[in-house]
Amino acid sequence: MHPGPAWRPASTDARHQPTDARHPCPASAQRAWQTPPVNPSAPSSRDLAVRTEGLGRRFGERWAVRDLSLELRRGEVFGLLGPNGAGKTTTIRLLSALIGPSAGRAWVDGLDLVGEADGVRSRVGVLTEAPGLYEKLSAIRNLDFFGKLQGLPTAVRAERIERFLRLFDLWDRRHEPTGTFSKGMKQKLAIARALLHDPPVLFLDEPTAALDPEAAAVVRDAIATLRGQGRTIVLCTHVLPEAERLCDRIGFLRTTLLRVDTPARLRTGHADGRVHVRLAARAGPDLLAALRAAPGVAAVEAAPDGLVAELREAESDTPALVRALVAAGAAILEVRREAATLEDVYFEVMGAPADGEAAA
Amino acid sequence: MRIAWIAAVLEREVAELLRNRLLLLSILGPPIVIVLGPVLLGKLVAGRPLPAGLAASLVAGRPEWALLDPGDLAAAYSFQQFLLFFLMLPAFIPLSIATFSIIGEKQSRTLEAVLATPIRTGELLAGKAIAAAVPGIAGGLIAYLGFAGLVRALYGPALFAIVSAPDWLAATFLLGPAIALLSVVLGVLVSSRVNDPRTAQQVGAVIVVPLVGAVIAQAAGRFLVDATGYGLAAGAVLLIALAGLRAGSWLFAREAILTRWR
Repeated sequence: MHPGPAWRPASTDARHQPTDARHPCPASAQRAWQTPPVNPSAPSSRDLAVRTEGLGRRFGERWAVRDLSLELRRGEVFGLLGPNGAGKTTTIRLLSALIGPSAGRAWVDGLDLVGEADGVRSRVGVLTEAPGLYEKLSAIRNLDFFGKLQGLPTAVRAERIERFLRLFDLWDRRHEPTGTFSKGMKQKLAIARALLHDPPVLFLDEPTAALDPEAAAVVRDAIATLRGQGRTIVLCTHVLPEAERLCDRIGFLRTTLLRVDTPARLRTGHADGRVHVRLAARAGPDLLAALRAAPGVAAVEAAPDGLVAELREAESDTPALVRALVAAGAAILEVRREAATLEDVYFEVMGAPADGEAAA
Repeated sequence: MRIAWIAAVLEREVAELLRNRLLLLSILGPPIVIVLGPVLLGKLVAGRPLPAGLAASLVAGRPEWALLDPGDLAAAYSFQQFLLFFLMLPAFIPLSIATFSIIGEKQSRTLEAVLATPIRTGELLAGKAIAAAVPGIAGGLIAYLGFAGLVRALYGPALFAIVSAPDWLAATFLLGPAIALLSVVLGVLVSSRVNDPRTAQQVGAVIVVPLVGAVIAQAAGRFLVDATGYGLAAGAVLLIALAGLRAGSWLFAREAILTRWR
């Protein structure tokens, strides 16, 4: 439990539902501030919040992002990992219709990124690298301004501003200029701004950077709750444990997507065939010899609490190892595959920096 | 263009302007000096006739000034020097506001967050342009009206007629707003390429070079511009401003703002 304020669920109005679920609403019932209707012929299926096909962007001769093909399901938290200059920010700018692609196509919430850019911008919330606040203006005036730019009516703005300022523990300082805020407070306010118009898709560029542990915990809770509401979140972060904890899938980006998978599969896939066996008694030479003769076992060595076996195929050879242990009369307490950390995977995937890597 | 979005930008610009004391001082200070300067100078020179050659040259350029007594002619001459100073207000005020506004956004990195909303760049720039141009135009007009009122009260109808003649009206009501527009265009163009408001203002200050030249030429008695001349100058400045706006339109694209405004 962290001591920060608890994340309170946002409203559960129709804008949180999958795109196609909104269609039954009569057009006359739609207000100006609601997001525009989805083009039913768009290639995005009802389960996809983001779809890209060979998306790329170059600046001059350099490709910042290249051949990005990706499908994000609704409600998915997708982590984008990569070193500085790998193209993460360019990817976010592309998918939030801030800049146009040099190649490929993409759809966000069913809207074409190029042809329906205004619609895309009303459906995404963006937390930029820098908080980007008007420092002479108060927190409330900052949010009110951005609420107006999102076309929210006065009453809706007022309700949401209060809700988010209270949520992020900024309500008591709502009238103070944001220039007097700490980095963490500014970051929380910027996140509130990204959420103000209730977007179904969120792009968060390093949301917990510069936050103290309490504030970071609040933000992580918020991200987890937003996922539960069916929002899709693209999270750029350098904090690998954060990505592992929050993300359903992780993509490693260095100009192009190098690998995409769930954190568990990434770690398991990276791990070699080492299996740790914890025993009630120390492994003797006879047991070790018996195991070395078992099929699929490449090597065995004693460990302080048991032994470590190196298998040729961890997935298929583990049952044979267990059978050999039982046959040899070993008192097994635990059999556990040694998994790699996400950091191991990161360095394995990223390797050395590529030549001529474009700045994001 | 949607009015609500322009109004939102305008409202925020004004709110920020009112909180920037340095900028406010630089906007409110010069009009006071420009209003009081000629009024006080007129009192100083009113009792001292101009050199005969200069007086003859002035009357040749403005036959209606022949009706003024020598003291009033000297005061009219001093007032005339300040007409061009009134044009510097719509030149400097919009330049200051536009550069502080755009460079302020660059420094605080707010533009990306703004452009991530459905606002159109035309609406954003319209809001900024109005916020910069209106105080400049209003500053020039209010200062002129204050000056004319003081002249009427302190110097009487003869000199009031001089400062409310068509040349003054054309300069303040036509050329002033045109200069304000050009100043905004220059402010935006220059601010997009530099990161320091003072540098931007120094570069943008080229706008006042022709004005300073005109002040010097007029002070030397070389020429007096009439209403038609100010009207033509207003048209020329407006054309230059529109050409600058067109030439720099690529800078106003969403992507250019994000990737080229450094």
